[in-house]
Amino acid sequence: MIESTLSELESRAAALIDAAASPDSLESARVEFLGRKGALASIGKDMGKLPPDERAAAGKLLNAVKQNLESRFDARKSAFDKAALDARLAAEWIDVTRPAPGVRPGSLHPLTLIQSELEEYFTSLGFAVVDGPEVETEWHNFDALNIPAAHPARDAQDTFWLEDGHLLRTHTSPVQVRAMEKFGAPLRIIAPGRVFRNEEVDASHEHTFYQLEGMMIDKDVSVAHMLYFMKGLLEAIFNREVTVRLRPGFFPFVEPGFELDIKCLICGGPGCPVCKQSGWVELLPCGLVHPNVLRSGGIDPEQWNGFAFGLGLTRLVMMRYAIDDIRHLASGDLRFLRQF
Amino acid sequence: MKFSYNWLSELLYGAPADPAELTHLITMKTAECEGVVPFAPWLAQVVAARVIEVAPIEGSHNVVAQVDAGPVHGRKQVVCGAPNCRIGITTAYVPAGVSLGDKQILKAVIGGVESDGMLASAAELAINRDHSGIIEIEAAPGAPLPGLSPDYVIEVDNKSLTHRPDLWGHFGMARELAAITGAKLKDPVNLSLLPSGDPLYTVDIEDHSLAPRYSALVFENVTVQPSPLWLQARLEAAGMNSINNIVDVTNFIAAELAEPMHAFDADKLNGTTISVRRAKSGEPYDALNGETYTLEPRHLVIADAGGAIALAGVIGGAGSAINDQTTRIVLESANFEATGIRRTSSEMKLRTDASMRFEKAQDPNNTVRALARAVELLAIVSPGIRLRGGLIDNFKAPPAPPPIALPMEWLVRKLGRPIEAAEVRAILESLEFGVSEPTPGVFSVTVPSWRATKDITIKDDLLEEVGRMVGYGSIPPVPPLKPVQRPWVNHERLFHHDIRQAVAAQGFTETYNYSFVSDSMALRFGFEPASHIRVSNPISVEQSLMRISLLPGIHKNIVDNARYSGEFRLFEIGNEIHKREGGALPHEIPHLMAAIHTKGDGTAAFHELKRLAECLMPGCDVIPTPVGQASSLQGAFSPAVAGQASSPAYEHPARAAVITWRGERTGRIFELHPLLVESGRASILDLDLEVLFKLGPAPKRYQPLRRFPSSSFDLSVVASLRTLAGELGSQISSAAGSNCESVEFLYSYQGQPLPDDKQSLSYRITVSAPDHTLSSEELTAIRASIIEALKSAGYDLRG
Repeated sequence: MIESTLSELESRAAALIDAAASPDSLESARVEFLGRKGALASIGKDMGKLPPDERAAAGKLLNAVKQNLESRFDARKSAFDKAALDARLAAEWIDVTRPAPGVRPGSLHPLTLIQSELEEYFTSLGFAVVDGPEVETEWHNFDALNIPAAHPARDAQDTFWLEDGHLLRTHTSPVQVRAMEKFGAPLRIIAPGRVFRNEEVDASHEHTFYQLEGMMIDKDVSVAHMLYFMKGLLEAIFNREVTVRLRPGFFPFVEPGFELDIKCLICGGPGCPVCKQSGWVELLPCGLVHPNVLRSGGIDPEQWNGFAFGLGLTRLVMMRYAIDDIRHLASGDLRFLRQF
Repeated sequence: MKFSYNWLSELLYGAPADPAELTHLITMKTAECEGVVPFAPWLAQVVAARVIEVAPIEGSHNVVAQVDAGPVHGRKQVVCGAPNCRIGITTAYVPAGVSLGDKQILKAVIGGVESDGMLASAAELAINRDHSGIIEIEAAPGAPLPGLSPDYVIEVDNKSLTHRPDLWGHFGMARELAAITGAKLKDPVNLSLLPSGDPLYTVDIEDHSLAPRYSALVFENVTVQPSPLWLQARLEAAGMNSINNIVDVTNFIAAELAEPMHAFDADKLNGTTISVRRAKSGEPYDALNGETYTLEPRHLVIADAGGAIALAGVIGGAGSAINDQTTRIVLESANFEATGIRRTSSEMKLRTDASMRFEKAQDPNNTVRALARAVELLAIVSPGIRLRGGLIDNFKAPPAPPPIALPMEWLVRKLGRPIEAAEVRAILESLEFGVSEPTPGVFSVTVPSWRATKDITIKDDLLEEVGRMVGYGSIPPVPPLKPVQRPWVNHERLFHHDIRQAVAAQGFTETYNYSFVSDSMALRFGFEPASHIRVSNPISVEQSLMRISLLPGIHKNIVDNARYSGEFRLFEIGNEIHKREGGALPHEIPHLMAAIHTKGDGTAAFHELKRLAECLMPGCDVIPTPVGQASSLQGAFSPAVAGQASSPAYEHPARAAVITWRGERTGRIFELHPLLVESGRASILDLDLEVLFKLGPAPKRYQPLRRFPSSSFDLSVVASLRTLAGELGSQISSAAGSNCESVEFLYSYQGQPLPDDKQSLSYRITVSAPDHTLSSEELTAIRASIIEALKSAGYDLRG
């Protein structure tokens, strides 16, 4: 008797659960059959009225029906949940190709980038980064560097003179003297900065440009030591092996003085327009510090010596980024500057 | 300096390397060569030809000539336009197929007449500048042009010769090549040609420190005429013009021996004393170049009884110049002190071949060598010329420099590679240094006179001689073995880099502007030009003044970029340069200037800059400046405005603020005055990085977190339109008492139901206590005390 009631109930409930078209109709089916006041619960209540010998079997059957319906319900329920989640996720599509809102990050000037890089490189080798004034005394810019008044070497450096008797430094070399005055020996410094030459501006000439001066003073510094630092410097800049050559060059503040050439990175030697067909690019004037310069800085040349070099940062930036017109650098043109 | 390869070769025994190799050797061991170019290579193919027939061409100024061009070319018919093309002369024949530079000579029909080749002028052959007619020479038909052959010109960078007086002549360079290649040097000078006997002139040198030596010779029976072509070609190769035989010889010797000379017309000199003296104050001087100069005692002159006849070492005088009529000359070969010559030539803007050599400090021993060379050359170019009297020579030799001690062990340490003493000695001797070894291991080196004037004075100079000759390529790079020392840290520079990074991260692009401004740029912003440091020698007005603000440059960036873009952000970190009293160097103050240009109403841009300021200076105060009078800015700016206490003239008078941080004024934020920006609006942040760096980073210290929960409530306050949100917030904060955690401005509202002259400002107040959770009674009490304070200050509250 109860078996047939349960069986009939089970098939009716199963049909309803399976046919539920929405979470709501599923829920009402659950309430109707599996709820606290549902059909199965009321059968359960009547269970006590059965004779004891039938009760156990009936209870077993009831539980089986209940478990069957519950698992049917759970399966159906999770199908609805999954469908709902899928629908929500599908609806939440976004267009990933739209531009990101907010202000774009700006950029640093290429001369800043190269300065920071070289400062890091030299700091790692124990060099201090030193600044000097852009307006200099004639003494620091020339006399202290073994370029007395009426020295023909002054021709090479067209100078802006100021009405207060000072001048705009024509190179970063005066910082050599200032650093020696400040720190004494031993000394390892670099001095990047802005320098000025009284020249007309065109695609390859500027009256304002950047140099990086370097100097090492210690006991028995040799040409071989200088070469080690110069080669390392160029390899750090170009991030590859470079071939260098050293040849005589005249600069009054060094003796001996050198021009350091780098084998053309564009053609590798056979000659191209960048190296003017020579296979070599002149990059780095350098030399052993002249004893007179050491004396200007208050250092005894019998005790100490050293090397110094001057790197044209503007030229280097142009080489590295293939910039064909020096005027871009001071143009303030964001179409140019944003490329870095 | 241009060097002729043929000329150098003639000064050496044994053939030197080929021109390209020689150029490379000079670059690697002596001085930088800028290049090597062929000189008149066609001379290998041009031959002498005799004109045997000339016939006019109807309707043309040309003639048709039959020439005998020798056994190889035979008889040729050539059309020629030269006025001197006549029967019997021997001239230069350029066969068809030969190129003269970029001009190729072809068989052609000219005016209906066949022309096979060309008869050439010296200018067409590029051996001088004479194109008045075809050249006339004496040579057998078919022979090469006598004394003329193809050459190469090696150009050496003058800057790399600054320290080498001897390399301003071919002989000096030949000596280098002898040392480099092992060839033997051939001295062109024969001192035995100098005459003995009494000189016709006496030389009076006022100050031997200005003119160590003055030598001269007198010649008579002089014929002034064009030089032979070989001499003209030599000068042309060395980059000089041919003038006449006498001047050409002096220029030739200058280019060969580096000794500048000058020929006076002896018949135009007064008296028999030549003085080398300081000019008299205001002494007039007519120079060869047609200019008249007024001299001062700082200038050195050569004078006769009648006054200055030459500006020593720079330029000869017009009154004593030689010309076609000249028959007697005084040939000067002197030595002058370098800096005096350089000062005079710079001052007069007269950079002559002579002054360029003298300013490098020439060898006083060279004067008589040059005269001996002149005796030989003048006899060739002016046949019949005769010496008169003995050598004129006034010389007070400067003390010989002491020998230089050169310790081998020092040399090796400085070079960084081993080298044998014997090799060092060989190198120095090949360059004609005297080497002895009084102490073992230490050379005593005497310097030859042509290197002793300035060039070589200390052992470091000898290091260079040895180093360049062994070849710097032989030195390996070696890392130094030195104690590690922690380098000094440039915190200020690192600080600037940090600021750059932070500002760029906020969307600003870095620019580099010039340190110069023009007067008109300065005036445009109300900066007094007189308060700038002025450049004495600007190239253009754009570079007249040193900037005292980054603003003119940044303003230019704004205007320029507004042509391409509506909204952009940029910044610069650079030095302001301010005058200082008492001859001290100027005060260079690093500043950051950041700018936003927008097409909007400018409010957001202003506040974005305020946020940038807060990124750099957390918790800084932005204090409005008193609203200025807009009427002060009509049309052009008056410089006086800048001096007033109110906002500078370039600021929008109602949109400007001062920034203070930890008790210091650090900068300003302002919108540029609308009259300065037509394309939109531009806001500027200007920070004094010197002050900012001195303040250092804000100290950081941990505060215990609040253990009890905080509570928040919102209030909307009705206030007049220009009530400052910041001030109102402070009032709320102080009314909230010690339990106030924060007062956050939310938004403002204007419009219905508020009257037109009111706005509502909404705040969120967060409160908590350090030792318990605030009860609802406590919260109500705080809220009530805020409301009461606001009401008593005259504000209403919105529900």
